[in-house]
Amino acid sequence: MKRVFTHPPKPETGRKYWRSLEECADTPEFRGWLEREFPAGAAEMEMDGVSRRNFLQLMGASLALAGFGLAGCRRPEAYITPFSKTVEWMIPGKALFYASSMPTRKGSIPLVVTTYDGRPTKVEGNPLLPGSTGATNVFAQASVLSLYDPDRARRFRAPDGSTADFEKFQAYLATLPTESIAFVLEENNSPTRARLRKALAKRFPQAQFCVYEPCGNTAGMEAHQAAFGADSRARLRLENADVILSLGADFLGPEGTVEETRAFSSRRRVESPSDTMNRLYVVEHRYTITGGMADHRLRLRASEIANFASLLASKLGVGNAPESVDAELESWANEAARDLQKAGSRAVVVAGATQPAAVHLLAASINSALGSLGTTVTFQSAEAEQNISIAELAEDLKAGSTTVVVCGGNPSYNAPADLDFPKLLKSAPHSIRLGYYEDETSRDCKWHVPMAHYLESWSDGLTPEATYVPVQPMILPIFGGLTEHELFAMLAEEPTAEPVRPDGAELVRETFRSIAQASDFESAWTAFLRDGFLPESSAPDAARSINSGAALQLPPPASDGIELVLIADYKVDDGRYINNGWLQELPDPITKLTWDNAAWISPATALELGVRMHEMAADTITIEANGESVTVPIIVAPGHADRSITLPLGYGQALAGKVGAGTGVNAYPLRTSTAPYIISNVKVAATGEKVELAITHGHWTMEGRELFREGTLAEYQANPEFAKTMGMDSHIPPDISLYRPAALDAPEQWGMAVDLNTCTGCNACVIACQSENNIPIVGKEQVIKHREMHWMRIDRYFSSVTDEEPNPAVGMQPVACMHCEMAPCETVCPVNATVHSEDGLNVMAYNRCIGTRYCANNCPYKVRRFNFFDYNKRKVGTTKKGLFEADNLYFGPLGEKQETSLTAMQKNPNVSVRMRGVMEKCTFCIQRIEEARINTRVRAGASANLKIPTDSIKTACQQACPASAIVFGDISDPESTVSKLKARDRDYVMLKYLNTRPRLSYSARLRNPNRQMPGADKVGAMNHVYGHGDAEGDTHGPGVHEATQETHH
Amino acid sequence: MANIFPRWSNYMPLKVLVCLLVTAPVAVAGVWYYFTPKYTRVGYMPTQPVPYSHELHVNQLGLDCRYCHSHVEVAGHSNVPTTQTCMTCHSQVQAQNPVLQPVRDSWESGEPIPWIKIHKAPDYVYFNHAVHVNRGVSCASCHGPVNRMEVVWHDQPHSMGWCLDCHRAPENHLREPEHVFNLDWEPGEGESQKEIGLRLKEQWQVDPPTNCAGCHR
Repeated sequence: MKRVFTHPPKPETGRKYWRSLEECADTPEFRGWLEREFPAGAAEMEMDGVSRRNFLQLMGASLALAGFGLAGCRRPEAYITPFSKTVEWMIPGKALFYASSMPTRKGSIPLVVTTYDGRPTKVEGNPLLPGSTGATNVFAQASVLSLYDPDRARRFRAPDGSTADFEKFQAYLATLPTESIAFVLEENNSPTRARLRKALAKRFPQAQFCVYEPCGNTAGMEAHQAAFGADSRARLRLENADVILSLGADFLGPEGTVEETRAFSSRRRVESPSDTMNRLYVVEHRYTITGGMADHRLRLRASEIANFASLLASKLGVGNAPESVDAELESWANEAARDLQKAGSRAVVVAGATQPAAVHLLAASINSALGSLGTTVTFQSAEAEQNISIAELAEDLKAGSTTVVVCGGNPSYNAPADLDFPKLLKSAPHSIRLGYYEDETSRDCKWHVPMAHYLESWSDGLTPEATYVPVQPMILPIFGGLTEHELFAMLAEEPTAEPVRPDGAELVRETFRSIAQASDFESAWTAFLRDGFLPESSAPDAARSINSGAALQLPPPASDGIELVLIADYKVDDGRYINNGWLQELPDPITKLTWDNAAWISPATALELGVRMHEMAADTITIEANGESVTVPIIVAPGHADRSITLPLGYGQALAGKVGAGTGVNAYPLRTSTAPYIISNVKVAATGEKVELAITHGHWTMEGRELFREGTLAEYQANPEFAKTMGMDSHIPPDISLYRPAALDAPEQWGMAVDLNTCTGCNACVIACQSENNIPIVGKEQVIKHREMHWMRIDRYFSSVTDEEPNPAVGMQPVACMHCEMAPCETVCPVNATVHSEDGLNVMAYNRCIGTRYCANNCPYKVRRFNFFDYNKRKVGTTKKGLFEADNLYFGPLGEKQETSLTAMQKNPNVSVRMRGVMEKCTFCIQRIEEARINTRVRAGASANLKIPTDSIKTACQQACPASAIVFGDISDPESTVSKLKARDRDYVMLKYLNTRPRLSYSARLRNPNRQMPGADKVGAMNHVYGHGDAEGDTHGPGVHEATQETHH
Repeated sequence: MANIFPRWSNYMPLKVLVCLLVTAPVAVAGVWYYFTPKYTRVGYMPTQPVPYSHELHVNQLGLDCRYCHSHVEVAGHSNVPTTQTCMTCHSQVQAQNPVLQPVRDSWESGEPIPWIKIHKAPDYVYFNHAVHVNRGVSCASCHGPVNRMEVVWHDQPHSMGWCLDCHRAPENHLREPEHVFNLDWEPGEGESQKEIGLRLKEQWQVDPPTNCAGCHR
């Protein structure tokens, strides 16, 4: 039974939500996306330069080849190869979990790693740590794929380019001169590294250490040192903050930590109208995910934020007001200052990493003036390290006799352009590179040594709250790589006749011995590894007050020229994840761009420059600064400041692997050591060319009204059920369907609730889902054809009252399969491949699917994904075969295959790897549900105790979510969290009038505007077209009866 | 006018019809029989690298299934024993027997013994041993009288229809937990298999899944 949905007419007035500018303008292209699940080229055979005749030739050839291999009709002989010696703890088919942690520049993320047969397949946060919810972020989720990257460095390379081995490298180390040596390191708070640094200083008394993070918060650290001294570390305590003001800080994004998102969201969890929530002011030049959460957002050029910061500071009695101030800015600052003042010690101002040190100092001074040091900003004492900057290192290198050891990073690619670092590195007499890839820095160094992944390493670290955590290996280094600690230990050893390979575990144990001071070392060590942290090892809060004499030079007032702001990318960070396919294909949380970077500009600036976006393509511009120029495609970003350009760093790496090759444009040449993030007065010109871009903001667009619902806290308090009566939900007639749904008679009934008020749109769930469910990447060409496979997408809505609004609001909505009780997909499947289970799941039997795609066509939520090709086996990118050059996928059986021996190691053995021609979608992590069901029954044995413990199953997305916005569970159990969430007054389902009865419901977003603020009336203003608050559900109004009727075709 | 068709063509339609009537059922019957797991799987009895006899070890010596298949009660897979398990006895017993040479080689070299797989569920089927043996389904229900097999053969078809036969009527195979690993067990005089099965099904609330997701994920 095909159901034709008749959606009610679009409201004529009120707030408008759109995902792309095409949607806002309702262009014919957008109508096409809306009406067809897979637009242009989906049904036709489209060959990218391969004609139909060529295709048939290829097919014929491949068929002939297949014929040769036809051995017989019996299935091939398969073998069972048990271990020779039994391995402790290992049970074939069962996962083993190890506690570990992932080192990042913001501290270590404590993890629990799932391994199958010795292969790490999935990482989750460690829930044992006090306060932890077991959440992670997008980079931790994606890190497991990097472990199995076929392009990672596999060899020791000698200066002459030949492949060497460990012994030769060790022999070389003995010949190193001990006079002048410099280490280039990544930021890492490992106590073992700190200890080994001291050991190194014994053999190399003049050793210099340069910690270089191209996208680190250098300015913040400089300001912190000036204000509070180098012997402490500051922590943002957002759980205590009632009012937060961000000066370009993306603390919910990559600039922050999992803990900060958790703390922030803990103050956004509104259970009932009597609850309060925090208020977030964001001043920024481009939309960040923090900006998306803002209650008030000020769109301001990045170079003007310093000016605003001093204006705000002056209102709070810190420093003098700047001379000339715009009236609008003045009133905004006035109200923000008043609100901050009112919150007093429960307010906090946070400055962003892109802002100069003076702004960070102003923020610290404001916090001090507000009295919030000790409540919303706390301090812990920390050991100060003597490091030099990369500019100082460059000076040293110019002398020409320094030995350089580069551990990690890629300074030849990402050092400031004015230093000419590659040339200096090449001129060094001795240089060693410990690197994960053989990249630009390896090219410029004499020796290249493969680096072990953190999942192959022994190490340790400190979480952002300074709890001591281990890093333990899950697998031996696949390509024999060394860790940084092992290299340090080798260097620190005096050369002996018989050098031995350092023992990574012993290096960490030694550090642990001094930190833990345990009476029974072995059991303390075992507990440390088992639990993944040392209890109560975090340094206690220390009191710090601001050094009132601290002063940093504010940058000169912004000029009128166009500014360029370089930012860390949401996906490849500073470029380190360039070869990670999951991250490459992940849509940017704001622009929804995949596989590229682009210059974000505001619609007004685009008009001024005479550039625009096309369907799946964009005009390019040339940006010139510091004598260098780059040509990049543009992206028109609503909410961006005018006369400002944002360009993400990290792309355009010449020596990237197969996945990262040719993606994006390198923005590092525009960067200098004096202006690392904000470059004023750049020359910009349109080139007249255009470039294809794979942007997913128009993909899977849904027709329908009031998909994303929001209101203000005040409106909610006045009318707690506002979300239930929005759109036409209060006018839906009682269910008179003749169609009987599947029997839902199992004891458990699964459902999910998503809280839009805490979801930041960080994408951790998308990657967690990809990692858990063996979801392939498809490549840029396929994304352009709307064929990305993510089971979960995050719809980013812009919303405004008028189309011309330069500062629209942002709302994020994660969308996965709704598991409709009356699923429209099920009724159209000709082979019963998608059916309903008695516990309320819309299940998909891949082995039955014949690929008609009727289900996807009939899904109003557009959550079904089709395998147009064998994405799991084939490489992405283009291939050349004889005369043909095309997307590798089109070569079918003749195309290049993935190095499956390596990539297949990541696959979750409990989820089928889908092949070509099969439909797939979110399963609510059926493998986890079934595992729980089975475990309950195994435990029950000869009894009837079959109750699955409440809230014991977590889906991958739920587990990864740092904001705990996603909750899964049994909706028939009144004790479960999901039942309680669904009972909330803000709970609603999408497209309710279609009577699909989704099992995934949303809690409406709330905004908490300050009523005195200019423009407060526009914040979260609701769209009450049909809803007049009468919950009875009278059935008047046009389109209502049509909307619920079913028609036979 | 000359005949266009020769005389023999008069019988042509009849011949074609008869031919079709014969070939079609033959084809159907052929596919029915030869292409189903009942034919392709049942009876598969490959020669193993070591002629391990279940009849000797289980029936004569009285080894429990779980001595070697040690994780069957806790894991989805029923593991094939490691060489170390074999060597617990065979480092002493039959230590010089030439047929055990592959076992000793494996023990020395660390290379696994390549046992030939007999029961193979497709990749998209997630069968779980633990839940079956813990809920009263005996090894014998799916694997046949393994304790009597000199050489293991594929005893049951293991097709989806065959799985569903039991999932729809588990009473035909349920037994008390103490009899699960007793492959020779027969229902006693008083109670038939069906009666025992129905009683246990009621007592333990046995609810085998019959929806796709029970086995396909």
